[in-house]
Amino acid sequence: MMSKPVTLTRLDEKEFITPANSACQGCAGSIVARMVSKVMGESMVRQEVACCGPAFGNITQPAFYGEIFEGAGAMMTGFARAFNRVGRDDIRVVGIIGDGGTIDIGFQGLSAAAERNEDMLWICYDNEAYMNTGGQRSSATTKYAATTTTPIGEYSRGKKEPRKPLTILVGAHRVPYVATASVAYPEDCMGKLEYAKDVKGFRFIQVSAPCPTGWRFDPRYSVKVAKEMVLSGLWPLYEAVEGSLRITYKPKELKPVKEVLKSQGRFRHITDDEVDEIQEEVNTFWVRLLEKDGGPLF
Amino acid sequence: MAKFEVMVGNKAVAYAAKLARVRYVSAFPITPQTTIVQYIADMIASGEIDADYVTMEGELSCQSSAMTAATTVRSFTATSGPGLLYMHHPMHMTTWARLPLVMAVVHRSTKGMQPDQMDTMSQRDTGWLMWECQNSQELLDTGIMSFKIAEDPRVRLPMIFMGDGYILSYTSEPVEIPAQEEVDAFLPPYRRPIPMFPEEKEEAMKLMMEMWSPYVDPQKVWRDQQQAAMNAKEVIKEVNHEFEKEFGRSYGNGLIEEYGCEDVDAVLVAMGTIASTAKTAVDQLQRDGKRIGLVAIKSFKPFPEEEFQRIAGYAKAMGVIDRNVSTGTRGGITFTEVRHALYDVDERPATLCFHAGMRGKEVRVEDLKRMAEKTLKAAYGEKVSPQVEWA
Repeated sequence: MMSKPVTLTRLDEKEFITPANSACQGCAGSIVARMVSKVMGESMVRQEVACCGPAFGNITQPAFYGEIFEGAGAMMTGFARAFNRVGRDDIRVVGIIGDGGTIDIGFQGLSAAAERNEDMLWICYDNEAYMNTGGQRSSATTKYAATTTTPIGEYSRGKKEPRKPLTILVGAHRVPYVATASVAYPEDCMGKLEYAKDVKGFRFIQVSAPCPTGWRFDPRYSVKVAKEMVLSGLWPLYEAVEGSLRITYKPKELKPVKEVLKSQGRFRHITDDEVDEIQEEVNTFWVRLLEKDGGPLF
Repeated sequence: MAKFEVMVGNKAVAYAAKLARVRYVSAFPITPQTTIVQYIADMIASGEIDADYVTMEGELSCQSSAMTAATTVRSFTATSGPGLLYMHHPMHMTTWARLPLVMAVVHRSTKGMQPDQMDTMSQRDTGWLMWECQNSQELLDTGIMSFKIAEDPRVRLPMIFMGDGYILSYTSEPVEIPAQEEVDAFLPPYRRPIPMFPEEKEEAMKLMMEMWSPYVDPQKVWRDQQQAAMNAKEVIKEVNHEFEKEFGRSYGNGLIEEYGCEDVDAVLVAMGTIASTAKTAVDQLQRDGKRIGLVAIKSFKPFPEEEFQRIAGYAKAMGVIDRNVSTGTRGGITFTEVRHALYDVDERPATLCFHAGMRGKEVRVEDLKRMAEKTLKAAYGEKVSPQVEWA
């Protein structure tokens, strides 16, 4: 059992999203919303919490905008249990939740819902900071990134800590499905959504969604940046079906991270030593993934 | 057939949830509420209740999940003191989405384990309706009535029914358990209050736009919520009356209970178990010829303003007992609400405030008799001071 890439030319033309939204130019979150709505179609009830979601929430299916930033796991639990109780298992409870609402303030509820194996699909669109409030660091932010709460100055080199390994942490809850995905690989991403759609229990997909506004690059390059993150190993694509790990895209050789980082304004200040440190981390993680590929996640 | 059982207040609450046929219960332990969710767990384990029982990782999630479940099925949760404070944020969302969730609160102070009303008073302006109880039978009956009031289309607001921790939660007394068929006849099946299913997407999205859009009419959400709470006054009276017809018990007129208020010159005003003790004080004083009665506030939200205006017609003084403090304001929260209600009457009675029972401080019959005597003095035109005291 595994996800299968979707052939884009064979996709149904029907969209479940209206043509325009109020997101920033080049918003990769908008691409996530379009892919999710396309795959889930009519059967979705969507949970939303505080994030950029309202800007790209032009999905036409019912949504509950709960102003409970920390509450996605609990609110989706209520929906999933109640729909099941009245015999509406056909409705899929889907959250399109930012990295803050997933990895920081929402983490307690995420962990609890995963532990109970609630029947929900949690999609984290990861733009690596609190972008809707103006780009404050989250625990998904890459080390050394300049954000509005980790600025660069004589006494600050940007974010001090490495990213929280979120997908692995969720996978450690022994849930039926976790995956990473990227807006630059829609066949892979939609294949994972397609697979996760019909799995019962807790499913989690963390999608890399570069933010031109917060990462400071030309909005036309959102997909390019996302692609280079995958090619450099900064964003490996993998999934774990019932705890069994599989890398879903293996670049023959990882591109150096330096160029990818340097293409983003948030890393303009970064030194060669700091680049080396990130490169080292990426290499270590990639080697570990390769070792585990095809075997148990933990 | 109804049957009797000697039970603690928390078990009476569990019976209310059972008889209301709740279908979703979110649970998290906190003293002195904990045994409510334990009793419910037992009832589910034995097949007496058919519901999804979800053990959450904290009260915030209890409230958040019971809120969304209430879009579709009858839902219930319970908490105390700090747990209620932790629910504060999603409680505002529950009223915003107008979901008729019912919650039991077993009073626990926000500074310590013993009871006072600071937990629910801290939620005063969330838009939840709040009903206080004096004994375990009242907890059971009020629980059942709460679902009917909250779900009434004229109201559709969440509702708290509450009682003092320890004094009720862990104290046994005989309670009549109504028969399930009788409760079924009284409480209709749950109707989904808002559209959420995919086939209702137009209505669902319209509703969310109305809730969120600043262009629709920013004040509408609050105006509607306020109107619903005001509508609840009539609905509460109706439901209380209907309950009496069906089960032979009622609680004053549903908003307040006037106890021994015939031919009196003054009244004590109290809530919860203090009101229950005050009945004994009033009985004893009346035997000695003292002309004092008791007004027990049952509905704190909506506040029975018109009732107090009517009582001002016969009571020349009101001694308000406040198991709460509004720091920085002279007098407790009930005192403030009562005086607010009295401002527009032509002949305003004298008002006194007694802060009592904070952090579980015992309130004895003798204490209440002393407060009553002081109130009577005020009724007879004597200068009494201080107007606000720590009893």
